[in-house]
Amino acid sequence: MKTRIGFFDFTGCEGCQLTVMNLEDDLLQVLQLVEVVEFRELMSEEVKELDIAFIEGSITRQQDRDRLQKIRKRTKTLVALGACADNGGVNLLASNQDVAALRQQVYGSDAEHLLTETPLPLHKVVQVDYRIPGCPIDGREFLAILQALLLEREPDLPNFAVCVECKLAEYPCSFDFGEICLGPVTRAGCRAICIEGGDRCRGCRGLVDNPRTSPYHKVLEEHGLTVQDILEQYRTFNIGEE
Amino acid sequence: MIKYRSVYEIFLFVVLIFVPADLSRTTQHDSQDETLWLAMNQAEILRFARALMQSYDLVAPRRKKGRITLGTLSDAADLELEFPPSVHSPKKFLFPHWDELFRFKLDGNVLLEAESAAPPRIIFGMHPCDLHAVKILDDCLFEGETDSAYRAKREATLLIGVDCVPDDHCFCTSLGTDRISSGFDLFFHRRDDKYLVQTGSAQGRQLLADHAPETMAGSHEAPLALQVKQCSSHLQFPTESLPLLMKDAYEDPIWKKLGQDCLGCGSCTLLCPSCYCFNVQDKLELDLKEGQRVRTWDSCQFDQFAKVNNGDNFRSSQSDRQRHRFYRKYKYLWDQHQRTACVGCGRCSRECLAKIKPTEVLNELFSQTPQQQLATSPGSEYQPQMAKVERIEAISAEDRLFRLRVPNNFSFQPGSFLQISVFGLGEAPFSIASPSDDSNEIELVVRRAGALTQALHRVRTGDSIGIRGPFGNGYPVDKMQGKDLLLIAGGRGLIALRSLMLSLLAQRDNYGRITLLCGARSIESLLFHEDLLEWHHSGLIDCRFAVNEQNNSWGIPAVDVSYLFRDLDINASRTIAAVSGPAEMYRQINPLLFRLGLADEDIYLNLERHMKCGLGKCGKCRINNICVCECGPIFPYSSVKHLAEAIER
Repeated sequence: MKTRIGFFDFTGCEGCQLTVMNLEDDLLQVLQLVEVVEFRELMSEEVKELDIAFIEGSITRQQDRDRLQKIRKRTKTLVALGACADNGGVNLLASNQDVAALRQQVYGSDAEHLLTETPLPLHKVVQVDYRIPGCPIDGREFLAILQALLLEREPDLPNFAVCVECKLAEYPCSFDFGEICLGPVTRAGCRAICIEGGDRCRGCRGLVDNPRTSPYHKVLEEHGLTVQDILEQYRTFNIGEE
Repeated sequence: MIKYRSVYEIFLFVVLIFVPADLSRTTQHDSQDETLWLAMNQAEILRFARALMQSYDLVAPRRKKGRITLGTLSDAADLELEFPPSVHSPKKFLFPHWDELFRFKLDGNVLLEAESAAPPRIIFGMHPCDLHAVKILDDCLFEGETDSAYRAKREATLLIGVDCVPDDHCFCTSLGTDRISSGFDLFFHRRDDKYLVQTGSAQGRQLLADHAPETMAGSHEAPLALQVKQCSSHLQFPTESLPLLMKDAYEDPIWKKLGQDCLGCGSCTLLCPSCYCFNVQDKLELDLKEGQRVRTWDSCQFDQFAKVNNGDNFRSSQSDRQRHRFYRKYKYLWDQHQRTACVGCGRCSRECLAKIKPTEVLNELFSQTPQQQLATSPGSEYQPQMAKVERIEAISAEDRLFRLRVPNNFSFQPGSFLQISVFGLGEAPFSIASPSDDSNEIELVVRRAGALTQALHRVRTGDSIGIRGPFGNGYPVDKMQGKDLLLIAGGRGLIALRSLMLSLLAQRDNYGRITLLCGARSIESLLFHEDLLEWHHSGLIDCRFAVNEQNNSWGIPAVDVSYLFRDLDINASRTIAAVSGPAEMYRQINPLLFRLGLADEDIYLNLERHMKCGLGKCGKCRINNICVCECGPIFPYSSVKHLAEAIER
């Protein structure tokens, strides 16, 4: 029997699921090995049990918690898909704000029935077996992790910094242009796609296991940043890991 | 596809007919080896490059996002011959980051598919430092089991050198890698508004003959003198001092500082033209039916590089990793190949966010080193200092004990040795016989044997003799604290053990039971009678003797030293053995020690050889791959038991 996989989403932009859909040709090959049994972007069916649940988005409401816990009970393996699910991602920008005031600011006077709470990554609610970082995820990394799960091999994430992929591709260093880049402490696996595109790394894949924060902060200070500025650099994607 | 086939056939032809000069010199004729110097102007070079592009993947510097990177040239008009160092070195083509070793199929049996042949390629734009780096890769990857994946690319790649434009990070002039006389197929030297092309191999000549016939037909020019370059970064000492500098720098605080600065990003090693450490991984196709085993660059700077399955990490701090990198570059590979594994290209520091510069690190190490130890005059490490003879005592018919006053107090471990010089007769190593007490007096025993020792026996009190040292590692006095000690001496092995025994007795209370088993051919050949009797009568140690002499004057049984093990009562778990004697004795004694239950790492053996230079260079005292003068002469058995030459014959 084919491995039964499903995709689920909570608070997020669905960009990670879109990344999976964009795999197109590759996906057709993958479908020889797996059966997609739930995927709201493709189908409306719901099943009793599945082997792997890929879950996108953060948990922001009580009903989200309930639904996530039910998915956990139905699936053998649960994988956090993308930054929002993995470490909270940009949703966590709301974490040091007053929830009621935010709700008012976003939804205006109609906010009464929208009982949103401070957003949480999945692992704060249920046990997460594996994670696929990034905002959005890297499609090839998704395939590699799916392969590993199908082969019952422990999936591994690179444990070196984005700098490695940047140097391999011979891109110029953002710091040479006076840009502040989170590449030196951010987990590789994205093939330095933002640097390639002319941007800097904003740390969407989260920190490496052992970020060299002290020498990194020394570099940032040499570029004229204060402690407050440095924390600000981490804020976009890495509040959950602070 | 059709084009590729024809290119491939040319490649096969090239490989079959012309193996690169470095790899098989013997196949070439002398006339083919002769270096040619030919003039080429810009237009000829352009035509040459165009012609090469027909048959080869022509790799040359290209501008990419404002940086110089090596890549396949698509238009010969873009060829540049003068440029600063490229981001990555030519390593990326000869030893690529993603190197398929073989393909396999998973269904049922694993089927191995041979790797596809390397494409015929020319790298046009090898700076001298990068050519030196290829020699280092050759040394490392052809040594022992030849790395055939590297060899395939190396043999299919022709190297064309050009001179470089050094930048602030280059320090090739300090390492002598700013120039090169071999290791390339062709080399283009700038001369006024033209170039002089120098041939470096038969293949290079053939390349010119085939693709630049008008140049080949032109007149031969006079060879160009090697040009001197200027680098703003440089080492403040000669490179020959590097191994000696690194020898004493292992515990230097500088590594801790580097560890605090380093981001662990690995850029230094990835960009290094001679770093080749790698990882091997399986990459599967999406259908999970087949895949490839690939080699990718790894870095000793990464957290997981020295990590093992149970979670232990053998280089757990970034300081350890930086130290390892510097030792690999400037010591370990020097020991093996007598050249640094660094070519001074500056790529590591050019791309380092933490601004770690090898020149600054090495210059700082140098500035901290006492200058007399690292005096820069050539050969100074071989020059002895003069020591005054304070006292001479005949301790047997053939042996004299010399007490020397040395110019500087020096510390050593019992078991270390000195080199003693007699000008005109040479130099020889002698074990130190006195305790390690930081005094400036030292005792040696000289047995009259050859010319040098006979000359020493003619020395009188008040004369001076030349000494170098002390050298080597001795018995671990610190580790012995609180332990029971079993000292076993055979013949002249007692000299090193006397140094140990006197050191132990100076702090007798720090040690448990001390037992000395002492063997010799005869009472006459037993050294240090007075000391032995004093120790025996003091009651501080348990002395037992064996001599192969019937009816001897001491009235001891005529037995072998192994006989003394018979009624030996020791607690193996708290005993360290120090053994010193001829190799033959170890073959006899070691099994007895194992039988007593002593651990391999608690048995210390004196493996003196002919330690000629004392500097780990001359190779005379080498036991398999280790130098006794550097790593010994005292070794725990655990670190030599795998060395066939150590004890077995």
